[in-house]
Amino acid sequence: MKANLVRRYLQKELNGWWIISMVGAGIILLPILFVFFELFQAPNENWFQVRDYLLQTYLFNTVTLLLLTGLFTAILGVTLAWLTTAYQFPLRNFFRWGLMLPLAIPPYIAAYTYRTMFSYTGVVQTTLRYEFGVQVDPEVISVSSLRGAVFIFTLFLFPYVYLITKAFLENQSSSYIETARLLGRKPFDVFLKIVLPLSRPAVVGGVALVVFEVLSDYGVTSYFGIHTITTAIFQTWFGMYDVDTAMRLAAWLMVILVGMVVVERLLRQRQRYHLSSKSKPLTPMKLRGVKAVAALSYCALVFGLGFAIPLLQLLSWAGLTFEKVWDLSFFILLKQTISVAAVSSALIIILAVVVANISRSKNVFSYFLSKIITAGYSIPGAIIAIGVLAVFIELDGKLAPVYASLGWGEAPLILSMSLFMLIVGYTIRFMATGFNAIEVGFEKVGTKYLEAARMLGNGRTMAFFKVDLPLIKGALLSGFILTFVEITKELPLVLLLRPFNFETLATKAFQYAKDEMIHEAAIPSLMIIAISSLSVVLFYFIEKRVKQ
Amino acid sequence: MKVLEVEGLTFSFQRGEEPILSDVSFSIKKGEIVGVLGQSGSGKSTLLRLISGLEIPWGGSISVAGKPVVNQRLFVQPEKRGIGMVFQDYALFPHMNVRDNILFGLNKMSRAERKNRLNEMLELVQMTDFAKRFPHELSGGQQQRIALARALAPKPEVLLMDEPFSNLDADLKASIRSELRSILKAAGMTCMMVTHDRKDVDAICDRSFSLSEDSAARKVHMQSL
Repeated sequence: MKANLVRRYLQKELNGWWIISMVGAGIILLPILFVFFELFQAPNENWFQVRDYLLQTYLFNTVTLLLLTGLFTAILGVTLAWLTTAYQFPLRNFFRWGLMLPLAIPPYIAAYTYRTMFSYTGVVQTTLRYEFGVQVDPEVISVSSLRGAVFIFTLFLFPYVYLITKAFLENQSSSYIETARLLGRKPFDVFLKIVLPLSRPAVVGGVALVVFEVLSDYGVTSYFGIHTITTAIFQTWFGMYDVDTAMRLAAWLMVILVGMVVVERLLRQRQRYHLSSKSKPLTPMKLRGVKAVAALSYCALVFGLGFAIPLLQLLSWAGLTFEKVWDLSFFILLKQTISVAAVSSALIIILAVVVANISRSKNVFSYFLSKIITAGYSIPGAIIAIGVLAVFIELDGKLAPVYASLGWGEAPLILSMSLFMLIVGYTIRFMATGFNAIEVGFEKVGTKYLEAARMLGNGRTMAFFKVDLPLIKGALLSGFILTFVEITKELPLVLLLRPFNFETLATKAFQYAKDEMIHEAAIPSLMIIAISSLSVVLFYFIEKRVKQ
Repeated sequence: MKVLEVEGLTFSFQRGEEPILSDVSFSIKKGEIVGVLGQSGSGKSTLLRLISGLEIPWGGSISVAGKPVVNQRLFVQPEKRGIGMVFQDYALFPHMNVRDNILFGLNKMSRAERKNRLNEMLELVQMTDFAKRFPHELSGGQQQRIALARALAPKPEVLLMDEPFSNLDADLKASIRSELRSILKAAGMTCMMVTHDRKDVDAICDRSFSLSEDSAARKVHMQSL
């Protein structure tokens, strides 16, 4: 009886879409599990050394960075979101999307730009010295510190909080805010008593993204010489060639992460607000005089520090090195970057479409499948890299007899020296970006067209290609652009998984900066910023279309 | 000859939940137009989704034209059941014009056959001049006629209609009801429609039954007109 029911259920649900999804989920889960199971292996000597002498510092630095960055991005993100949605002041419409632009500058690029600007020969100190005759204590002004890292992360990651909070305030909150105003509360009271508590879930969501980015960071912290768990993974791997210890560190970092996700869920559980989905947008109030100037200056300051100033500095450096850097090898670099990002994004989108399509029938399996598929987003690049590497080395070991029979020599490393490894790494890390975009697309279309197509004699696959695919084209494109941008910006994963001598814009810019060739780093950095700006432009156009 | 046969059909959305349909049995003969009456939440849309294969029942069996399509051991995919359906909101494909919408279900025919069938259908619903229009350029009544033509085009064994008049203006309903009956009879179609409005049933159907709301387990009460 039971077996019959199962068989009947499989007749309904089992098809190529399911099989591809299961394989995809397996590929994504395997490296993560590999890292996790390292916890149950016997540790080697290095590990005890790391644990007894270094781990405390690593942990302290990591936690401090997370707490301070989380706090400051929340403050910046919420105040700016509130200001630009609730009030009308000069240039407000420009800032509404201009304040997303800091996201286009990867923090590691901002880090070396600011460090050089604040160095003895940099623009800040020289101006102070020659124009004003002021000598500053290098200790006070140095950016190369924990303080500096918090500064950089805050300025360039706050848009995550800003974006999510702004979307919430614009679409969901007007009735509560207007009620509070009608009840005679002053604007500041409304902000404190209504806006802040109501937008808590949005702020937590945004800060969570910031935290994931900071945890994943290698560029800023290693450039500033701050030891965190992520930089420690790199050091044990490249410095000590001890993959086991690196994996053990990664596993513990992952345990911390899982703990944080659980805590966040628990905190939120009792705070789920019911929000009316179709409330009208908030009507902004006009600011005048001093208040308008203050609002404008605040936005302009953040925009200047977070986008305009570093961009201008990079442009001026690019002018100095244009002839030296802008040559054939640079175009090869560009081509390599674009092709590896395009191939990975295409792979991600295809897998995302398959999984999102079967996740449309809601059941326990599809729920877990979508969770597994998107797991990589909350896992730092370094952990994914080390898991992927371990799996590929294992695979090469298993395939050694095959290689030998093909005459490729005894136990060569074929897969783990190939570009394929990097592409798998990217796919795991950025699957969620593509998946979420496509899921939204499917949700908008609903299942009625699919059902109508099936009632007219088309199978699942035919119905998908003839009906769903044309209808989710837009989501496909935006999903592709978003993952493409993320991949182009990404640093730690590509540093760890790229084949020997394979360079992308990101690795090249970082290499130049590490070698103190800051001016040369400007052009690849500007290229990355240009590509990243695509996603901001995309947001702008989507918003515009939704309004129409 | 019985075109649709439903026996002991039972369904609930979740295990252990009170079933929304319990032990439902009935059959429909060829050429009949049968109405199923029920309030919202009585499970009438679910009944259509079970017959069409968009949901899977917990128990019971369904046969179409003498062939079982679902029972305790077997599940036939919706596209293989020979069932047509007009959805409550019509679900006309927004990226295709009227012509392509109607042709959609005819992909197994030859080119000439498809063209004939298309014209036949457009004439049947009197929409010949609208072949190039897109769904959003049509009125509610016109959209309904296209949805009907699209569902009839592949010559299904049974046509299912979900609340066919709920999206229409009240003053349109009367004329469209009689029109629908004549179209269905002209096509010789076996049809089962679900509705909450007794007037729909009285105007169109040969007989009807209701999914009663009083008992939690909704058994079918047959009643002939």
